[in-house]
Amino acid sequence: MATQQPTQGDEHPRAQQPQPQPQSSDPTEISEPSIYVALTHDHLSYQSTIDRVRSPEAGAIVVFAGTTRNNFNSLPVQHLSYTSYAPLALRTMLTICRSILTKHGLKGIAMVHRLGVVPIGEESILIAVSSPHRQAAWRAGEEALEECKAKVEVWKREEFGGEGGGVWRANRDGAIGVKVDEPRIGEGKGKGDEDEGGNGGRKDYGEEK
Amino acid sequence: MSAPKPPKGHFNLLYFASASSHTGKDMEALPAPLPLRKLFDTLEERYQGIRATVLDHSLVTINLSYVDMPSSEDKDGEDNAVVIQEGDEVAIIPPVSSG
Repeated sequence: MATQQPTQGDEHPRAQQPQPQPQSSDPTEISEPSIYVALTHDHLSYQSTIDRVRSPEAGAIVVFAGTTRNNFNSLPVQHLSYTSYAPLALRTMLTICRSILTKHGLKGIAMVHRLGVVPIGEESILIAVSSPHRQAAWRAGEEALEECKAKVEVWKREEFGGEGGGVWRANRDGAIGVKVDEPRIGEGKGKGDEDEGGNGGRKDYGEEK
Repeated sequence: MSAPKPPKGHFNLLYFASASSHTGKDMEALPAPLPLRKLFDTLEERYQGIRATVLDHSLVTINLSYVDMPSSEDKDGEDNAVVIQEGDEVAIIPPVSSG
């Protein structure tokens, strides 16, 4: 599926989207003082993300990198891809970053999510925070990730290959997502160690299964 | 950074993740105005089973703001009932999975 970024000023978008196109030179980003959020189809860069939050008043920079795992509950994942509602996702990322910047007295915060196919083992998200002292940076980094996983309008699809088909993951319950294809997928209901991270951040999704 | 303009008398409905898989579409234009509480019924008519599979677990935005989805039987408070207007951008937001 093509990414959800509408082509700008375009009258016939569907005709122009024959396939998902990696738009290497077209990151979508918002920055304001001390805050940077972005969605990109490119590889993520630690250095440039860290440099976004670097400050002479900071004594600590903490970076979190989320990488794509090769299995879900032992079911081998062949590859993953991410799609987003870009304008809304960026707005939500900005809201989260503003809140955490203030709450933890940070000097800077940057949150960058990769879209499109992300090969196994590569970074899908980077979050960097800087603060005068390390404790606030550790806490803020963790909280930023949890908030992101609970709220940001980005979706991960895992392809199992062969008869496994693919599923859209849902962070909120760590359970297997909605099947894309007919084939059976071992009903691997259980705890994904990382995927349960975003649980319950948003109550209005309705009841959890 | 807005979606392509819908035809006159229509609004855009965007589908993401499982909503996109179920409908086979990323987006489509539907006739406006449409009371918000009739949105899910309208979609269920077009895409049988989408309510249970997708909509019951999803949120809805209108022009990038989340809206509360009233029940289709809810006749109370019709005066302030939300109505989707021509030109609006509405989106079905399944449970997210960033990170």
